[in-house]
Amino acid sequence: MAVSVALGLVALVWGFPTLWALWATFTSSGGGVTLANLSGALAAAPFGAYALNTVLIVGGLLVVQTVFGALVGFILARYDFPGKPLVTGLFLLQIVVPVYAVLIQDYEIVQGLHLLDTRTGVMLPYLVSGIAILAFRQAFRTVPRELDEAARMDGYGTLGVFRRVYLPRALPALLAFAVISVTYHWTDFLWPLIVTNTAHARPIVVGLAAVAEASESGLQWNLLAAATSIVIVPVLAVFIAGTRRILSAFAASFDW
Amino acid sequence: MAALTVEAPAPRGRALALPRVLAIYLVLLVPMGLVVWFVAWPIVATVLHSFDHIGVRGTVGAFAGLANYRFLFAQPLFAVVLRNTAIYAGLSVVLCVVLAFLLALLLTGRGAVSRLLLVAIFSPTVMPMIAAANIWLYFLAPRFGLVGKILAVFGIHTGNLLGQPGSALGVLVVLFVWKYAPYFTLFLMAGLQAIPQSVREALRTEDPGGWHAFRSVILPMLTPMIAFVTTMALLYAAETVDPVYVMTQGGPNNATNLLMFYLYQLGFNYFAWGGAAALSALLMGGLSSLSALALIGLERRAFHWQ
Repeated sequence: MAVSVALGLVALVWGFPTLWALWATFTSSGGGVTLANLSGALAAAPFGAYALNTVLIVGGLLVVQTVFGALVGFILARYDFPGKPLVTGLFLLQIVVPVYAVLIQDYEIVQGLHLLDTRTGVMLPYLVSGIAILAFRQAFRTVPRELDEAARMDGYGTLGVFRRVYLPRALPALLAFAVISVTYHWTDFLWPLIVTNTAHARPIVVGLAAVAEASESGLQWNLLAAATSIVIVPVLAVFIAGTRRILSAFAASFDW
Repeated sequence: MAALTVEAPAPRGRALALPRVLAIYLVLLVPMGLVVWFVAWPIVATVLHSFDHIGVRGTVGAFAGLANYRFLFAQPLFAVVLRNTAIYAGLSVVLCVVLAFLLALLLTGRGAVSRLLLVAIFSPTVMPMIAAANIWLYFLAPRFGLVGKILAVFGIHTGNLLGQPGSALGVLVVLFVWKYAPYFTLFLMAGLQAIPQSVREALRTEDPGGWHAFRSVILPMLTPMIAFVTTMALLYAAETVDPVYVMTQGGPNNATNLLMFYLYQLGFNYFAWGGAAALSALLMGGLSSLSALALIGLERRAFHWQ
Protein backbone atom coordinates (compact mmCIF):
# COMPACT_ATOMS: atom_id res chain seq x y z
CA MET A 1 0.00 0.00 0.00
CA ALA A 2 2.69 2.44 1.05
CA VAL A 3 4.66 1.41 -2.04
CA SER A 4 1.70 2.16 -4.30
CA VAL A 5 1.22 5.59 -2.75
CA ALA A 6 4.91 6.38 -3.12
CA LEU A 7 4.94 5.21 -6.74
CA GLY A 8 1.79 7.19 -7.46
CA LEU A 9 3.34 10.36 -6.06
CA VAL A 10 6.53 9.85 -8.05
CA ALA A 11 4.51 9.23 -11.21
CA LEU A 12 2.54 12.43 -10.57
CA VAL A 13 5.61 14.63 -10.13
CA TRP A 14 7.53 13.03 -12.99
CA GLY A 15 4.62 12.82 -15.40
CA PHE A 16 3.03 16.17 -14.68
CA PRO A 17 5.18 18.37 -16.96
CA THR A 18 4.40 16.17 -19.98
CA LEU A 19 0.73 16.22 -19.11
CA TRP A 20 0.83 19.98 -18.74
CA ALA A 21 2.54 20.51 -22.10
CA LEU A 22 -0.17 18.45 -23.81
CA TRP A 23 -2.92 20.26 -21.88
CA ALA A 24 -1.57 23.72 -22.76
CA THR A 25 -1.27 22.67 -26.39
CA PHE A 26 -4.86 21.66 -26.86
CA THR A 27 -6.68 24.25 -24.73
CA SER A 28 -7.25 27.92 -25.43
CA SER A 29 -6.90 30.59 -22.76
CA GLY A 30 -10.70 30.52 -22.43
CA GLY A 31 -10.57 26.82 -21.54
CA GLY A 32 -12.01 25.26 -24.70
CA VAL A 33 -10.35 22.60 -26.82
CA THR A 34 -8.46 24.08 -29.76
CA LEU A 35 -5.95 23.29 -32.47
CA ALA A 36 -5.01 26.96 -32.86
CA ASN A 37 -1.84 26.64 -30.77
CA LEU A 38 -0.67 23.75 -32.89
CA SER A 39 -1.22 25.56 -36.16
CA GLY A 40 0.28 28.73 -34.65
CA ALA A 41 3.44 26.84 -33.69
CA LEU A 42 3.63 25.23 -37.12
CA ALA A 43 3.38 28.70 -38.66
CA ALA A 44 5.96 30.23 -36.29
CA ALA A 45 8.75 27.93 -37.52
CA PRO A 46 9.20 25.39 -40.31
CA PHE A 47 8.58 22.45 -37.99
CA GLY A 48 7.60 20.23 -40.92
CA ALA A 49 11.06 20.64 -42.44
CA TYR A 50 12.72 20.27 -39.01
CA ALA A 51 10.80 17.05 -38.32
CA LEU A 52 11.74 15.66 -41.73
CA ASN A 53 15.40 16.46 -41.02
CA THR A 54 15.19 14.70 -37.66
CA VAL A 55 13.55 11.61 -39.16
CA LEU A 56 16.12 11.41 -41.97
CA ILE A 57 19.05 11.96 -39.60
CA VAL A 58 17.86 9.55 -36.90
CA GLY A 59 16.68 6.91 -39.39
CA GLY A 60 19.75 7.18 -41.60
CA LEU A 61 22.08 6.90 -38.62
CA LEU A 62 20.21 3.87 -37.28
CA VAL A 63 20.53 2.06 -40.63
CA VAL A 64 24.22 2.83 -41.14
CA GLN A 65 25.15 2.15 -37.49
CA THR A 66 23.28 -1.17 -37.64
CA VAL A 67 25.00 -2.30 -40.85
CA PHE A 68 28.46 -1.43 -39.53
CA GLY A 69 27.57 -2.82 -36.09
CA ALA A 70 26.43 -6.18 -37.50
CA LEU A 71 29.40 -6.57 -39.88
CA VAL A 72 32.09 -5.59 -37.40
CA GLY A 73 30.32 -7.38 -34.53
CA PHE A 74 30.23 -10.59 -36.59
CA ILE A 75 33.92 -10.37 -37.46
CA LEU A 76 34.93 -9.68 -33.85
CA ALA A 77 32.70 -12.49 -32.55
CA ARG A 78 33.75 -15.25 -34.95
CA TYR A 79 37.22 -14.61 -36.37
CA ASP A 80 40.70 -14.34 -34.94
CA PHE A 81 43.07 -12.36 -37.09
CA PRO A 82 46.31 -10.43 -36.62
CA GLY A 83 45.72 -7.01 -35.11
CA LYS A 84 42.35 -7.90 -33.57
CA PRO A 85 43.02 -6.35 -30.13
CA LEU A 86 43.98 -3.09 -31.81
CA VAL A 87 40.81 -3.12 -33.91
CA THR A 88 38.66 -3.83 -30.84
CA GLY A 89 40.46 -1.04 -28.98
CA LEU A 90 39.73 1.45 -31.74
CA PHE A 91 35.99 0.78 -31.56
CA LEU A 92 36.06 0.92 -27.74
CA LEU A 93 37.68 4.34 -28.11
CA GLN A 94 34.59 5.45 -30.03
CA ILE A 95 32.46 4.60 -26.98
CA VAL A 96 34.83 6.08 -24.43
CA VAL A 97 35.51 9.45 -26.07
CA PRO A 98 32.34 11.57 -26.08
CA VAL A 99 31.76 13.45 -29.34
CA TYR A 100 31.60 16.59 -27.19
CA ALA A 101 35.29 16.20 -26.36
CA VAL A 102 36.32 16.40 -30.02
CA LEU A 103 33.54 18.82 -30.96
CA ILE A 104 35.77 21.55 -32.37
CA GLN A 105 37.99 19.20 -34.40
CA ASP A 106 34.94 17.47 -35.88
CA TYR A 107 33.42 20.86 -36.68
CA GLU A 108 36.56 21.79 -38.60
CA ILE A 109 36.49 18.50 -40.55
CA VAL A 110 32.86 19.02 -41.55
CA GLN A 111 33.62 22.65 -42.43
CA GLY A 112 36.58 21.53 -44.56
CA LEU A 113 34.30 19.15 -46.46
CA HIS A 114 31.85 22.03 -47.11
CA LEU A 115 29.17 20.00 -45.36
CA LEU A 116 28.10 22.61 -42.79
CA ASP A 117 24.31 22.95 -42.70
CA THR A 118 23.72 19.58 -44.38
CA ARG A 119 22.15 16.46 -42.94
CA THR A 120 25.23 14.48 -44.00
CA GLY A 121 27.36 16.84 -41.94
CA VAL A 122 25.22 16.23 -38.86
CA MET A 123 25.45 12.45 -39.31
CA LEU A 124 29.12 12.01 -40.29
CA PRO A 125 30.83 11.80 -36.88
CA TYR A 126 28.22 9.31 -35.60
CA LEU A 127 28.17 6.81 -38.50
CA VAL A 128 30.04 4.11 -36.58
CA SER A 129 28.70 3.22 -33.13
CA GLY A 130 30.89 1.22 -30.77
CA ILE A 131 27.81 0.38 -28.68
CA ALA A 132 26.19 -1.25 -31.74
CA ILE A 133 29.34 -3.26 -32.41
CA LEU A 134 29.52 -4.48 -28.81
CA ALA A 135 25.82 -5.35 -28.73
CA PHE A 136 25.99 -7.37 -31.96
CA ARG A 137 29.27 -9.03 -30.99
CA GLN A 138 27.69 -10.19 -27.75
CA ALA A 139 24.55 -11.49 -29.48
CA PHE A 140 26.53 -13.34 -32.18
CA ARG A 141 28.73 -15.01 -29.59
CA THR A 142 25.72 -16.85 -28.17
CA VAL A 143 25.04 -18.61 -31.50
CA PRO A 144 26.18 -22.26 -31.07
CA ARG A 145 28.97 -23.13 -33.49
CA GLU A 146 27.16 -26.37 -34.39
CA LEU A 147 24.40 -24.31 -36.03
CA ASP A 148 27.02 -22.41 -37.99
CA GLU A 149 28.71 -25.67 -39.12
CA ALA A 150 25.40 -27.31 -40.01
CA ALA A 151 24.41 -24.39 -42.23
CA ARG A 152 27.77 -24.57 -43.98
CA MET A 153 27.25 -28.33 -44.54
CA ASP A 154 23.96 -27.40 -46.19
CA GLY A 155 25.98 -25.44 -48.70
CA TYR A 156 25.56 -21.86 -47.47
CA GLY A 157 28.48 -19.48 -47.88
CA THR A 158 29.59 -17.05 -45.13
CA LEU A 159 27.05 -14.48 -46.25
CA GLY A 160 24.22 -17.04 -46.25
CA VAL A 161 25.17 -18.31 -42.79
CA PHE A 162 25.35 -14.73 -41.55
CA ARG A 163 21.87 -13.95 -42.86
CA ARG A 164 20.11 -17.18 -41.93
CA VAL A 165 21.79 -18.21 -38.69
CA TYR A 166 23.24 -15.10 -37.07
CA LEU A 167 20.98 -12.17 -37.93
CA PRO A 168 17.74 -13.70 -36.56
CA ARG A 169 19.51 -14.28 -33.22
CA ALA A 170 20.48 -10.64 -32.97
CA LEU A 171 16.99 -9.13 -33.13
CA PRO A 172 16.68 -8.36 -29.36
CA ALA A 173 20.11 -6.72 -29.43
CA LEU A 174 18.99 -4.73 -32.45
CA LEU A 175 15.84 -3.50 -30.68
CA ALA A 176 17.81 -2.50 -27.58
CA PHE A 177 20.38 -0.69 -29.65
CA ALA A 178 17.68 1.02 -31.71
CA VAL A 179 16.15 2.42 -28.51
CA ILE A 180 19.50 3.78 -27.33
CA SER A 181 20.45 5.21 -30.72
CA VAL A 182 17.10 6.79 -31.55
CA THR A 183 16.65 8.47 -28.14
CA TYR A 184 20.22 9.72 -28.21
CA HIS A 185 20.11 11.27 -31.68
CA TRP A 186 16.51 12.46 -31.37
CA THR A 187 17.50 14.49 -28.30
CA ASP A 188 21.04 15.46 -29.38
CA PHE A 189 21.43 19.23 -29.30
CA LEU A 190 24.88 20.83 -29.20
CA TRP A 191 26.41 19.15 -32.26
CA PRO A 192 23.48 19.84 -34.61
CA LEU A 193 23.25 23.36 -33.16
CA ILE A 194 26.76 24.27 -34.25
CA VAL A 195 26.80 22.55 -37.65
CA THR A 196 23.38 23.71 -38.88
CA ASN A 197 21.90 27.18 -39.25
CA THR A 198 18.86 26.90 -41.52
CA ALA A 199 15.80 24.69 -41.95
CA HIS A 200 17.81 22.96 -44.68
CA ALA A 201 19.37 20.58 -42.16
CA ARG A 202 18.30 21.76 -38.71
CA PRO A 203 16.66 19.02 -36.60
CA ILE A 204 13.50 19.63 -34.60
CA VAL A 205 15.18 19.93 -31.17
CA VAL A 206 17.43 22.75 -32.38
CA GLY A 207 14.39 24.36 -34.02
CA LEU A 208 12.54 24.19 -30.72
CA ALA A 209 15.39 25.94 -28.94
CA ALA A 210 15.31 28.68 -31.57
CA VAL A 211 11.55 29.16 -31.05
CA ALA A 212 12.07 29.25 -27.28
CA GLU A 213 14.75 31.91 -27.62
CA ALA A 214 12.59 34.00 -29.93
CA SER A 215 9.54 33.75 -27.70
CA GLU A 216 11.33 34.49 -24.44
CA SER A 217 10.61 38.17 -24.74
CA GLY A 218 7.08 37.72 -26.10
CA LEU A 219 6.25 34.76 -23.85
CA GLN A 220 3.67 33.04 -25.99
CA TRP A 221 3.55 30.04 -23.73
CA ASN A 222 0.81 28.17 -25.51
CA LEU A 223 2.74 28.33 -28.77
CA LEU A 224 5.85 27.14 -27.00
CA ALA A 225 3.91 24.32 -25.36
CA ALA A 226 2.54 23.33 -28.75
CA ALA A 227 6.02 23.32 -30.27
CA THR A 228 7.23 21.23 -27.35
CA SER A 229 4.36 18.78 -27.87
CA ILE A 230 5.26 18.42 -31.53
CA VAL A 231 8.71 17.33 -30.39
CA ILE A 232 7.72 14.96 -27.59
CA VAL A 233 4.52 13.30 -28.89
CA PRO A 234 6.14 11.02 -31.52
CA VAL A 235 8.65 9.45 -29.10
CA LEU A 236 6.03 9.30 -26.37
CA ALA A 237 3.66 7.44 -28.73
CA VAL A 238 6.34 4.87 -29.58
CA PHE A 239 7.14 4.46 -25.90
CA ILE A 240 3.48 3.99 -24.93
CA ALA A 241 3.00 1.43 -27.72
CA GLY A 242 5.98 -0.66 -26.68
CA THR A 243 6.50 0.19 -22.99
CA ARG A 244 7.20 -3.31 -21.71
CA ARG A 245 9.09 -4.57 -24.73
CA ILE A 246 11.35 -1.51 -24.68
CA LEU A 247 11.98 -1.72 -20.94
CA SER A 248 12.84 -5.43 -21.09
CA ALA A 249 15.02 -5.00 -24.18
CA PHE A 250 16.86 -2.32 -22.27
CA ALA A 251 17.33 -4.59 -19.26
CA ALA A 252 18.57 -7.42 -21.51
CA SER A 253 21.04 -5.22 -23.36
CA PHE A 254 22.77 -4.35 -20.10
CA ASP A 255 23.15 -7.95 -19.11
CA TRP A 256 26.40 -8.54 -20.95
CA MET B 1 26.74 -19.44 -22.01
CA ALA B 2 29.81 -17.75 -23.40
CA ALA B 3 32.11 -20.29 -21.75
CA LEU B 4 30.16 -23.19 -23.26
CA THR B 5 30.43 -21.94 -26.82
CA VAL B 6 34.17 -21.49 -26.42
CA GLU B 7 34.50 -25.18 -25.46
CA ALA B 8 32.44 -26.29 -28.47
CA PRO B 9 34.23 -28.74 -30.80
CA ALA B 10 34.39 -26.35 -33.73
CA PRO B 11 37.91 -24.96 -33.96
CA ARG B 12 38.09 -21.45 -32.64
CA GLY B 13 40.66 -19.08 -33.99
CA ARG B 14 42.03 -21.37 -36.66
CA ALA B 15 44.92 -19.68 -38.46
CA LEU B 16 43.40 -17.78 -41.35
CA ALA B 17 44.89 -17.74 -44.81
CA LEU B 18 46.22 -14.41 -46.01
CA PRO B 19 43.36 -13.77 -48.50
CA ARG B 20 40.89 -14.30 -45.62
CA VAL B 21 42.71 -11.74 -43.44
CA LEU B 22 42.76 -9.28 -46.31
CA ALA B 23 39.03 -9.79 -46.87
CA ILE B 24 38.37 -9.10 -43.18
CA TYR B 25 40.37 -5.89 -43.26
CA LEU B 26 38.62 -4.87 -46.47
CA VAL B 27 35.28 -5.06 -44.65
CA LEU B 28 36.75 -3.25 -41.63
CA LEU B 29 38.32 -0.53 -43.77
CA VAL B 30 35.38 1.89 -43.92
CA PRO B 31 34.20 1.65 -40.26
CA MET B 32 37.77 1.83 -38.98
CA GLY B 33 38.54 4.72 -41.30
CA LEU B 34 35.52 6.65 -39.99
CA VAL B 35 36.54 6.15 -36.35
CA VAL B 36 40.12 7.21 -37.10
CA TRP B 37 38.88 10.25 -39.01
CA PHE B 38 36.30 11.52 -36.52
CA VAL B 39 37.56 10.20 -33.17
CA ALA B 40 41.15 8.97 -33.07
CA TRP B 41 42.81 11.66 -35.17
CA PRO B 42 40.79 14.51 -33.57
CA ILE B 43 42.05 13.31 -30.18
CA VAL B 44 45.65 13.65 -31.34
CA ALA B 45 44.92 16.92 -33.13
CA THR B 46 43.13 18.38 -30.08
CA VAL B 47 46.14 17.72 -27.88
CA LEU B 48 48.65 18.94 -30.49
CA HIS B 49 46.70 22.10 -31.38
CA SER B 50 46.29 23.03 -27.75
CA PHE B 51 50.02 23.89 -27.87
CA ASP B 52 49.74 26.02 -31.04
CA HIS B 53 48.68 29.58 -31.72
CA ILE B 54 45.18 29.57 -33.19
CA GLY B 55 43.74 32.59 -35.00
CA VAL B 56 40.23 34.02 -34.56
CA ARG B 57 39.08 32.08 -37.63
CA GLY B 58 40.41 28.83 -36.26
CA THR B 59 43.56 28.66 -38.42
CA VAL B 60 46.46 26.92 -36.72
CA GLY B 61 49.69 28.90 -36.49
CA ALA B 62 53.11 28.48 -34.87
CA PHE B 63 53.96 26.48 -31.77
CA ALA B 64 52.87 28.40 -28.69
CA GLY B 65 54.00 26.24 -25.82
CA LEU B 66 51.66 26.57 -22.86
CA ALA B 67 50.25 29.96 -23.96
CA ASN B 68 46.72 28.61 -24.55
CA TYR B 69 46.65 26.95 -21.14
CA ARG B 70 48.02 30.11 -19.50
CA PHE B 71 45.33 32.14 -21.25
CA LEU B 72 42.62 29.74 -20.05
CA PHE B 73 43.76 29.68 -16.43
CA ALA B 74 44.19 33.47 -16.45
CA GLN B 75 40.47 33.94 -17.17
CA PRO B 76 38.74 34.80 -13.88
CA LEU B 77 35.60 33.27 -15.39
CA PHE B 78 37.28 29.85 -15.76
CA ALA B 79 37.61 29.47 -11.98
CA VAL B 80 33.95 30.44 -11.55
CA VAL B 81 32.92 27.92 -14.20
CA LEU B 82 34.94 25.15 -12.56
CA ARG B 83 33.36 25.90 -9.20
CA ASN B 84 29.84 25.99 -10.69
CA THR B 85 30.38 22.70 -12.48
CA ALA B 86 31.76 21.02 -9.36
CA ILE B 87 28.79 22.11 -7.21
CA TYR B 88 26.28 21.28 -9.93
CA ALA B 89 27.76 17.86 -10.74
CA GLY B 90 28.27 16.88 -7.10
CA LEU B 91 24.71 17.67 -6.03
CA SER B 92 23.15 16.27 -9.20
CA VAL B 93 24.96 12.95 -9.10
CA VAL B 94 24.32 12.22 -5.43
CA LEU B 95 20.61 13.11 -5.57
CA CYS B 96 20.13 11.37 -8.89
CA VAL B 97 21.72 8.06 -7.89
CA VAL B 98 20.00 7.90 -4.49
CA LEU B 99 16.62 8.62 -6.06
CA ALA B 100 17.21 6.18 -8.93
CA PHE B 101 18.13 3.49 -6.44
CA LEU B 102 14.97 4.01 -4.36
CA LEU B 103 12.86 4.07 -7.51
CA ALA B 104 14.44 0.83 -8.78
CA LEU B 105 13.65 -0.87 -5.46
CA LEU B 106 10.05 0.39 -5.59
CA LEU B 107 9.57 -0.79 -9.16
CA THR B 108 11.13 -4.27 -8.86
CA GLY B 109 9.80 -5.13 -5.43
CA ARG B 110 6.32 -5.95 -6.74
CA GLY B 111 4.53 -7.60 -9.61
CA ALA B 112 3.20 -5.80 -12.63
CA VAL B 113 3.34 -2.01 -12.47
CA SER B 114 0.59 -0.37 -14.51
CA ARG B 115 1.59 1.00 -17.88
CA LEU B 116 0.20 4.44 -17.02
CA LEU B 117 2.58 4.62 -14.06
CA LEU B 118 5.53 3.48 -16.16
CA VAL B 119 4.78 5.97 -18.93
CA ALA B 120 4.46 8.80 -16.40
CA ILE B 121 7.71 7.94 -14.65
CA PHE B 122 9.73 7.43 -17.84
CA SER B 123 8.26 10.32 -19.83
CA PRO B 124 11.18 12.62 -18.89
CA THR B 125 13.57 9.96 -20.21
CA VAL B 126 12.22 10.01 -23.76
CA MET B 127 11.86 13.80 -23.74
CA PRO B 128 14.68 15.91 -25.20
CA MET B 129 16.37 18.04 -22.54
CA ILE B 130 15.52 21.13 -24.60
CA ALA B 131 11.80 20.32 -24.40
CA ALA B 132 12.04 19.62 -20.66
CA ALA B 133 13.88 22.90 -20.12
CA ASN B 134 11.13 24.77 -21.99
CA ILE B 135 8.38 23.32 -19.84
CA TRP B 136 10.28 24.06 -16.64
CA LEU B 137 10.93 27.58 -17.84
CA TYR B 138 7.17 28.03 -17.86
CA PHE B 139 6.67 26.45 -14.44
CA LEU B 140 9.30 28.78 -13.02
CA ALA B 141 8.09 31.97 -14.65
CA PRO B 142 8.00 34.83 -12.11
CA ARG B 143 4.55 35.80 -10.78
CA PHE B 144 2.35 33.32 -12.67
CA GLY B 145 4.61 30.23 -12.64
CA LEU B 146 3.30 27.09 -10.95
CA VAL B 147 6.35 26.48 -8.76
CA GLY B 148 6.17 29.98 -7.26
CA LYS B 149 2.48 29.53 -6.50
CA ILE B 150 3.00 26.16 -4.82
CA LEU B 151 5.85 27.49 -2.70
CA ALA B 152 3.70 30.49 -1.77
CA VAL B 153 1.09 28.10 -0.33
CA PHE B 154 3.78 27.02 2.14
CA GLY B 155 4.60 30.64 2.88
CA ILE B 156 7.81 30.67 0.84
CA HIS B 157 8.06 33.69 -1.44
CA THR B 158 10.93 33.28 -3.82
CA GLY B 159 10.71 35.87 -6.55
CA ASN B 160 12.39 34.84 -9.78
CA LEU B 161 14.14 31.54 -9.07
CA LEU B 162 16.17 31.77 -12.26
CA GLY B 163 17.12 35.39 -11.53
CA GLN B 164 19.16 34.68 -8.40
CA PRO B 165 22.57 33.00 -8.60
CA GLY B 166 22.11 30.28 -5.96
CA SER B 167 18.58 29.27 -6.80
CA ALA B 168 19.28 29.30 -10.55
CA LEU B 169 21.97 26.66 -10.14
CA GLY B 170 19.60 24.78 -7.80
CA VAL B 171 16.93 24.76 -10.50
CA LEU B 172 19.41 23.18 -12.94
CA VAL B 173 20.19 20.48 -10.35
CA VAL B 174 16.48 19.71 -9.86
CA LEU B 175 15.96 19.57 -13.61
CA PHE B 176 18.86 17.14 -14.00
CA VAL B 177 17.55 14.88 -11.24
CA TRP B 178 14.02 14.94 -12.65
CA LYS B 179 15.23 14.19 -16.18
CA TYR B 180 17.84 11.52 -15.49
CA ALA B 181 16.83 9.70 -12.27
CA PRO B 182 14.32 7.46 -14.16
CA TYR B 183 16.92 6.79 -16.86
CA PHE B 184 19.44 5.50 -14.33
CA THR B 185 16.64 3.60 -12.62
CA LEU B 186 16.50 1.48 -15.81
CA PHE B 187 20.11 0.35 -15.34
CA LEU B 188 19.63 -0.38 -11.64
CA MET B 189 16.45 -2.34 -12.42
CA ALA B 190 18.43 -4.39 -14.93
CA GLY B 191 20.95 -5.02 -12.16
CA LEU B 192 18.26 -6.06 -9.67
CA GLN B 193 16.55 -8.34 -12.17
CA ALA B 194 19.85 -10.04 -12.95
CA ILE B 195 19.94 -11.32 -9.38
CA PRO B 196 18.76 -14.96 -9.73
CA GLN B 197 15.22 -15.66 -8.57
CA SER B 198 16.55 -18.52 -6.38
CA VAL B 199 18.75 -16.11 -4.45
CA ARG B 200 15.83 -13.80 -3.82
CA GLU B 201 13.57 -16.70 -2.79
CA ALA B 202 16.17 -18.03 -0.38
CA LEU B 203 16.63 -14.61 1.17
CA ARG B 204 12.90 -14.17 1.59
CA THR B 205 12.58 -17.40 3.65
CA GLU B 206 15.76 -16.92 5.66
CA ASP B 207 15.37 -13.26 6.46
CA PRO B 208 11.76 -12.10 6.04
CA GLY B 209 12.52 -8.62 7.38
CA GLY B 210 14.94 -8.20 4.55
CA TRP B 211 17.19 -5.45 5.84
CA HIS B 212 20.12 -7.70 6.76
CA ALA B 213 19.82 -9.71 3.55
CA PHE B 214 19.61 -6.50 1.59
CA ARG B 215 22.78 -5.11 3.10
CA SER B 216 24.87 -8.27 3.05
CA VAL B 217 23.74 -9.87 -0.24
CA ILE B 218 21.77 -7.59 -2.57
CA LEU B 219 23.80 -4.43 -2.09
CA PRO B 220 27.21 -6.06 -2.76
CA MET B 221 25.79 -7.71 -5.89
CA LEU B 222 24.58 -4.33 -7.10
CA THR B 223 27.76 -2.42 -6.27
CA PRO B 224 29.31 -2.66 -9.76
CA MET B 225 26.08 -1.41 -11.34
CA ILE B 226 25.85 1.45 -8.83
CA ALA B 227 29.44 2.36 -9.65
CA PHE B 228 28.61 2.32 -13.35
CA VAL B 229 25.52 4.49 -12.89
CA THR B 230 27.39 6.97 -10.69
CA THR B 231 30.14 7.39 -13.26
CA MET B 232 27.64 7.79 -16.08
CA ALA B 233 25.71 10.39 -14.07
CA LEU B 234 28.92 12.29 -13.42
CA LEU B 235 29.71 12.19 -17.14
CA TYR B 236 26.25 13.46 -18.06
CA ALA B 237 26.42 16.22 -15.46
CA ALA B 238 29.85 17.32 -16.66
CA GLU B 239 28.53 17.47 -20.24
CA THR B 240 25.39 19.47 -19.37
CA VAL B 241 24.81 22.31 -21.80
CA ASP B 242 21.24 22.18 -23.18
CA PRO B 243 19.35 23.58 -20.16
CA VAL B 244 21.98 26.28 -19.67
CA TYR B 245 21.50 27.32 -23.27
CA VAL B 246 17.69 27.48 -23.04
CA MET B 247 17.06 28.59 -19.45
CA THR B 248 19.85 30.90 -18.34
CA GLN B 249 22.53 31.42 -21.02
CA GLY B 250 24.97 31.02 -18.13
CA GLY B 251 23.46 33.83 -16.05
CA PRO B 252 22.66 35.49 -13.75
CA ASN B 253 26.17 36.87 -13.46
CA ASN B 254 27.68 33.57 -14.72
CA ALA B 255 26.25 31.64 -11.76
CA THR B 256 25.06 28.84 -14.07
CA ASN B 257 27.92 28.94 -16.57
CA LEU B 258 29.05 25.29 -16.77
CA LEU B 259 32.13 23.83 -18.49
CA MET B 260 30.50 22.71 -21.72
CA PHE B 261 28.63 26.00 -22.17
CA TYR B 262 31.86 27.88 -21.45
CA LEU B 263 33.63 25.86 -24.15
CA TYR B 264 30.85 26.74 -26.58
CA GLN B 265 31.15 30.42 -25.64
CA LEU B 266 34.95 30.46 -25.93
CA GLY B 267 34.80 29.04 -29.43
CA PHE B 268 31.60 30.20 -31.03
CA ASN B 269 30.93 33.49 -29.18
CA TYR B 270 34.37 34.92 -28.31
CA PHE B 271 36.36 33.13 -31.07
CA ALA B 272 39.07 32.44 -28.49
CA TRP B 273 39.97 29.22 -30.26
CA GLY B 274 43.29 28.87 -28.44
CA GLY B 275 41.62 28.81 -25.04
CA ALA B 276 38.92 26.55 -26.47
CA ALA B 277 41.56 24.11 -27.72
CA ALA B 278 43.21 23.98 -24.31
CA LEU B 279 39.86 23.45 -22.58
CA SER B 280 38.95 20.76 -25.15
CA ALA B 281 42.15 18.86 -24.41
CA LEU B 282 41.50 19.02 -20.66
CA LEU B 283 37.85 17.98 -21.08
CA MET B 284 38.84 15.11 -23.34
CA GLY B 285 41.25 13.76 -20.77
CA GLY B 286 38.70 14.09 -17.97
CA LEU B 287 35.58 12.86 -19.75
CA SER B 288 37.33 9.97 -21.49
CA SER B 289 38.84 8.65 -18.27
CA LEU B 290 35.41 8.90 -16.66
CA SER B 291 33.69 6.86 -19.37
CA ALA B 292 36.57 4.38 -19.46
CA LEU B 293 35.97 3.91 -15.73
CA ALA B 294 32.26 3.36 -16.38
CA LEU B 295 32.99 0.76 -19.03
CA ILE B 296 35.46 -1.07 -16.79
CA GLY B 297 32.76 -1.08 -14.10
CA LEU B 298 30.33 -2.70 -16.50
CA GLU B 299 32.90 -5.29 -17.60
CA ARG B 300 33.61 -6.16 -13.99
CA ARG B 301 29.92 -6.70 -13.51
CA ALA B 302 30.03 -9.17 -16.39
CA PHE B 303 32.95 -11.03 -14.77
CA HIS B 304 31.03 -11.04 -11.56
CA TRP B 305 28.26 -13.04 -13.17
CA GLN B 306 30.07 -15.46 -15.43
